[in-house]
Amino acid sequence: MGAAPQQASPDQRVADFRKIFSRAETEVARVIVGHREVVRKMLTALFCGGHILIEGVPGLGKTLMVKAASETLGLSFKRIQFTPDLMPSDIIGTQVLTESDGHREFQFKHGPIFAHMVLGDEINRATPKTQSAVLEAMEEHQVTVFGTTYVLDPPYIVLATQNPIELEGTYPLPEAQMDRFIFKVVMGSPKPDELREILNRTTGTAHSRIQPLFEPSRAPQAIEEHKALVREVMVAEPLERYIISVIGGCTPGGPGAIPEVSQYLRFGPSPRGAQALILCAKVNALLAGRVSVSYDDIDDAIVPCLRHRLLLNFQAEAESVSSESILEQVIKRLKKPRT
Amino acid sequence: MDNPVETIGIASARIARLAAIRMMLCAVAPAVTAIGLGLFLEPIGDVTWTRFGYLLAPDRAAVLSLALIGGGMVVLVAGLVVSFRAYRHANDFVAAAAELDDLLDCDQEIVTFATLANPSAPESSRARRTPLFPVLWRHAIASFAGLDVRREFRLEVGEPLKRSSIFAGVVAIAMVLATLGLVRAPTPENTEAAKLRAIAEEIARSSTSSDDTALAAKIRQAADALENSKLPPEEKKKRIEEAMRQADKAAEKRNNSQSGKNQGTGKSNAQNGKGSGKSQSQGNSAGAGSGQSNSGTGAGQKLGGNNPGSGKSSNGNNSGKNEGAKGSAKNDKNDQNKGDRSNIELRNELAKAEAQVEAANAKNPGPDNKPGDAKNQGGADKPGDNPGESGNQPDPNRPGNIPKPGAKSARNVPAAGGNPKNDKDMGSNLGDTHLGEMPTSTNAQRFLKPGEKGAAPDIKDARYVMFRLPGEPSSGSGGKTVLDIDRPTATTVYVNAPLAPTSDNAPPDERQLVPPRYRDMIR
Repeated sequence: MGAAPQQASPDQRVADFRKIFSRAETEVARVIVGHREVVRKMLTALFCGGHILIEGVPGLGKTLMVKAASETLGLSFKRIQFTPDLMPSDIIGTQVLTESDGHREFQFKHGPIFAHMVLGDEINRATPKTQSAVLEAMEEHQVTVFGTTYVLDPPYIVLATQNPIELEGTYPLPEAQMDRFIFKVVMGSPKPDELREILNRTTGTAHSRIQPLFEPSRAPQAIEEHKALVREVMVAEPLERYIISVIGGCTPGGPGAIPEVSQYLRFGPSPRGAQALILCAKVNALLAGRVSVSYDDIDDAIVPCLRHRLLLNFQAEAESVSSESILEQVIKRLKKPRT
Repeated sequence: MDNPVETIGIASARIARLAAIRMMLCAVAPAVTAIGLGLFLEPIGDVTWTRFGYLLAPDRAAVLSLALIGGGMVVLVAGLVVSFRAYRHANDFVAAAAELDDLLDCDQEIVTFATLANPSAPESSRARRTPLFPVLWRHAIASFAGLDVRREFRLEVGEPLKRSSIFAGVVAIAMVLATLGLVRAPTPENTEAAKLRAIAEEIARSSTSSDDTALAAKIRQAADALENSKLPPEEKKKRIEEAMRQADKAAEKRNNSQSGKNQGTGKSNAQNGKGSGKSQSQGNSAGAGSGQSNSGTGAGQKLGGNNPGSGKSSNGNNSGKNEGAKGSAKNDKNDQNKGDRSNIELRNELAKAEAQVEAANAKNPGPDNKPGDAKNQGGADKPGDNPGESGNQPDPNRPGNIPKPGAKSARNVPAAGGNPKNDKDMGSNLGDTHLGEMPTSTNAQRFLKPGEKGAAPDIKDARYVMFRLPGEPSSGSGGKTVLDIDRPTATTVYVNAPLAPTSDNAPPDERQLVPPRYRDMIR
């Protein structure tokens, strides 16, 4: 179990964070074969206080991965299967008329959104009305029903999945909602070795048991303390300028925008993108045993943090130019300030 | 060192110093090159353009030299300024931390530390610190363990010098281009001035007295004046005459010292000098005779040998010296002759220079330099004005100085049976030419035809020889013209037209100078 971070020395806190993170990865890896980068990004998003959008075909173990992570961290987990007829009240909850002691009263029935970890499966299948019901929860960590506001217990993370293949009958997430996800990670198909391992694990009699890192009662507080540690990681001014230049470089007509950006993009990342970059870089720094961010930490975060924040234009889609390729060009061409 | 802030500070100062030195090195080579070229422009010219017959005018050379030295100084000053700016720019705490970060591969930990512990902005830096700052401090200390700033940040002069040499090359090329644009083929004045300077150099090198030094200085001034196109001709002439007077003075002193050794023969020669003085004043009634009373020397004395007169040389030392040299020791004679030769050469060159000034003045007559103008008249004493003083070197190129044909010609004609002794140039220091003493037509002597017998023309002491081709021979009244069949005939038809009489105002270049070494040949 992790030590009490607030009472420990800074070095101890950093060491605890690395240990917790590493163990969480290991425990999730007991049930999920491969996808280490997806698992890392999921945990990173958790410690950053953000949400993650996972894109992948069905059957890759997305639900299992999130469930395993919640079990490992001792957090509550809910899953919402988004469908076209799903209503916001189905997610948030609703007032239910109940009778107790001869009195009838409305009582709020919490929806599945009230959990530490919420898996929104195939979120693009729900109508925009339902999708937008998640917006307040994701950003404000609270929901309002019939004028009453209910706070979501921290830590709170929404892991949404979407199927990139089936577009018929789907409602692609609007940019405003996409921007609320700190990361968008793409889950690819497993490699042959990984697939064989998956088969061995899931078709046999053996069951992997996950060892939780925290007691369920202490887990939210421990996670919150580690989230606070992430925000204590220091960033030098030159690196802040670099992040700003990255955002400017990805914005069409922005300062330092490369030609490809102006050619293929309609809109660039918002300030939320810069926030996501810094937070992700801080987690990367802690994982490297440092208390300050480096350029490598930032570069490592650029693609997952910004890929879903770039709005490609028609020409880019016609020429099959991806946002990832544009971001890689930006990383290559931007000069890292020294002072 | 336990304090990483101090380490970064030391590194910052060293990086700044190195940056300043590197920047200064970039400026040093072009500056030194420019200053060196400016200082040694003359020796460089001696081995380059002067060797190939070109000339860089002294004023242009001075300007070029000054420009190069000035440019070098400017580059030097600019280098200092740029170095100072480089020092200030490089003396940056965070930048030094970035250098250290790269050096130690610390993943921007040192930079972050520097931004949070920057001594120049302590308040803002402290405000950005988090509870994790002590960890960063310890990481910085651990990174700096074993770091030697002096060893890590060394002065590497290769690249700055390479860059500097490029700049130096540019300066040298600029100098070459400037020189190419400034060098000219030498004019006669330049050539003459160069000769005068060479003589001045020789005199200065072998100077034994202050007079020689003063003479060398005067000659240099005359040479400078001769080349200076801004100076009026009067000023140039004045300088040349000053040099002449100084030459006279130096020669006189030398003769005085020599005459003490030759007292036995000094008397008779004094007479020669005495006679010559008058001849000068007579033959050059309008000449430039502003001579000193004690310097009755030069051509006047020599010419006077042909015309025994009552002229008086104040000391007669020149002739006395010349004669006395015969009786003196051989070494003394050689030295004296050498000195005389030098003096003769000097006077010749000065006379030529003066003639060139006159010629140039005649080509471009200004409002004040008209021929016959009183200003151009020599200041020679009029006959009888001051018979006790001999005139200075006459100026034959001045209008009015040249004896007119027929005018007082008798005085210029060597008397038959005159003093033959005086006809010879007996090592006098009066020069081998006497500009202005042009023989007149009445004094012409005819050369013998091939095969013809008769007395050879006595032109040994002639300063100028004017050749006039004979006209068609006239048979006289009733005579008969006989064709000379032995006469070589031309293969082409030509007309042997008689030449026009030489103009008295002709520039000296058109007058044939007969150096002494050719006189025997002519004879």
